[in-house]
Amino acid sequence: MTRSVHAEWTKLRTVSSTAWTALSLVAATVAVGALAMAGLGTVEGADTVRYSVSGVLLGQVAAVVLAVLTVTPEYETAMIRTTLAADPRRGRVLAAKAATVTAVVLGCGALGMLGSLAAGRFILPGQGLPAPSLVDGPTLRAYSGTVLYFGLIALLSIGLAMVIRHTGSSITVVLSVLYVLPIAATLVTDPVWRERILKYSPMTAGLAIQNTLNLDALPIRPWPGLGVLAAYAGVAVVAGAVLFRTRDA
Amino acid sequence: MTGRDGFTQVLRGELTKLVTVRSTVWCVLATIGLTVLLTTLATSVGSTNANEGPRFVDEFHFVHQPLTGDGTVTAHVVSQERSQEWAKAGIMIKAGAANGAPYAAIMVTPDHGVRLQSTFDTDISGNGGTVPRWLRLTRTGASVAGFESTDGNSWRQVGTVNVGALPASAEAGLFVSSPPKIETVKTNGGNETRGSATQGAAVFDNVSGTSLTPGRWTDDTVRPPGGDPLANEGRSAEEAGRFTVVGSGDVAGYGIASWQPPGNDDIVANSLGGVQVGLMAVVALGVLFGTSEFKTGTIRTTFAASPRRTRVLVAKALVLGGSVFLAGLFASVIAFLIGQRNMRRHGYEPPAYPYVSLTDGPALRAIIGSALFLAVLAVFSLGIGTIRRRTVGAIVVVLALVVVPQILAPVMSLNAEVWINRLTPVAGLAIQRTTERFDDAIAPWAGLAVLAAYAAVAFGFALWQLRKRDA
Repeated sequence: MTRSVHAEWTKLRTVSSTAWTALSLVAATVAVGALAMAGLGTVEGADTVRYSVSGVLLGQVAAVVLAVLTVTPEYETAMIRTTLAADPRRGRVLAAKAATVTAVVLGCGALGMLGSLAAGRFILPGQGLPAPSLVDGPTLRAYSGTVLYFGLIALLSIGLAMVIRHTGSSITVVLSVLYVLPIAATLVTDPVWRERILKYSPMTAGLAIQNTLNLDALPIRPWPGLGVLAAYAGVAVVAGAVLFRTRDA
Repeated sequence: MTGRDGFTQVLRGELTKLVTVRSTVWCVLATIGLTVLLTTLATSVGSTNANEGPRFVDEFHFVHQPLTGDGTVTAHVVSQERSQEWAKAGIMIKAGAANGAPYAAIMVTPDHGVRLQSTFDTDISGNGGTVPRWLRLTRTGASVAGFESTDGNSWRQVGTVNVGALPASAEAGLFVSSPPKIETVKTNGGNETRGSATQGAAVFDNVSGTSLTPGRWTDDTVRPPGGDPLANEGRSAEEAGRFTVVGSGDVAGYGIASWQPPGNDDIVANSLGGVQVGLMAVVALGVLFGTSEFKTGTIRTTFAASPRRTRVLVAKALVLGGSVFLAGLFASVIAFLIGQRNMRRHGYEPPAYPYVSLTDGPALRAIIGSALFLAVLAVFSLGIGTIRRRTVGAIVVVLALVVVPQILAPVMSLNAEVWINRLTPVAGLAIQRTTERFDDAIAPWAGLAVLAAYAAVAFGFALWQLRKRDA
């Protein structure tokens, strides 16, 4: 297993796209979070913590790209055959891949959150709002939960990419799964159905973890919400693993 | 006979590539399927109870006295505060000072000229312009004629309205109203629309009329039973025949332009909402159409067969844009028809929501515009795909510009949100709007022009690069 992980880490580390996407993840997360906080002055009763970690809305695109690019190019270049020749146990290959990418994305997500925290401590007091502090329980939940969210997005992407095995389609499908349902929710005029969509779509359910205020008014509470996303990611990874074992590479 | 590399051949070659590759055909089908499916789902669960809400509003300040039988009232509106674009100041003949009593009124507004209105459903436009203005109402039985004049000598008839239930002894006099100001407020839960009362004020002089007696005026603030927090108490003062009247609220209903109905959904845009999902497939299609030839090396064969690169890319854009337009048009028409039928079943009916047909001007613009939106977006994606030559980078760039802004808008400030809706390709979706709203960020065609500008820049840059770089 150590060797498989080492092999995956080498493949990941030596591709230039990894550095770019990792850097984009951190930069986009911090930048969007800072922009959101800068506009907080006009928002009534705002959950300032949620705004400070909202950079994930853009940063997750980089997480998706990073994760998909560890899977599909191997099929497009037939590198996967070399990988499987070196390590024929497919379950182990997938586990090593998933572990490596998720660890990298979790690390980048943590950096993005630390950057957002620093930005929040700098921007929010200037607007007369309390600075976020990880000593506060709900704030800690929002920040650490967002890091976990990044990791689950990586797992979801790996699973779907294993199923689709085509770079362009995989990225389009994963981003559609994340972004389309929240947009669709705005088109539904029926409040009951809108709440149902927000409750069970991967992005909005997972991001429930970012809330620190009025938890009872949310479509889904923080941890169960992250659980919904984890279920999606789990199903995707299992589907990817089953197909990986049963299909020719 | 055209040579083998004539433009027709190039076009045909590109069309063959589009229809014989499985992934591109899938993308076209997915565009249609997603658009229709999402609209069907969204409209089959939505509902409205707007028709159960109030059908008129009758709130203003009235300075009046009885007018028995036929007669005339004339007044000169000297000035009017611009408290709201639809503030009204003028003269009114009304069955009584009770809320909801039938009326006819002629008025001047700050932004919408002179109007002759009656019985909460009739609205006749007079000349544009604003105060000072002379106004006159002449009652003959149930019929009331409205006149306007700029000098008090030469009068122009605005129109005649029929007020069915006007009793022999009606109330006539001056009135002032000013509808609530509606604004969007950002809250933690999202955008909220709120109204706040405004206060209109106007000065009148030269008030005269049949059987009007100076000094016998009665003041009444007309209100619905129970009052309304969005309309303040009015008042008036008279000094040597010069009246200052202060009033708040509105006198309107379905058919009157200033009416703010309880439901304000844009049923045409709602039935075309699926386009916002279908566009994902269009982006994938456009990018793949641009990058796949570079990836497989087919582009070298293409350029060997037709060395003029500009022509090849133009042919690609025409084939792609044309196909997406046709697919988008088909999807929009189907989505519109299904959406309208579903919404009618869920309470979207007159008077709150008049039926819209496929051939109504604004609906037609929205439907054809949605197809144009998708076609232009496809060309934009093709341009980015040709520039980047890598599927991943291109798809991410286009989606980041087209989809992500809509996701980010809710956490941005109100100003930032308006500019996102004006300056990103998302602006193109404004073409689907058929009702004017106070918070529209950009006009329909202007929005589509923003997207077209993105496409033009991307396509121009792609052409330039294609000629300079090795394939």
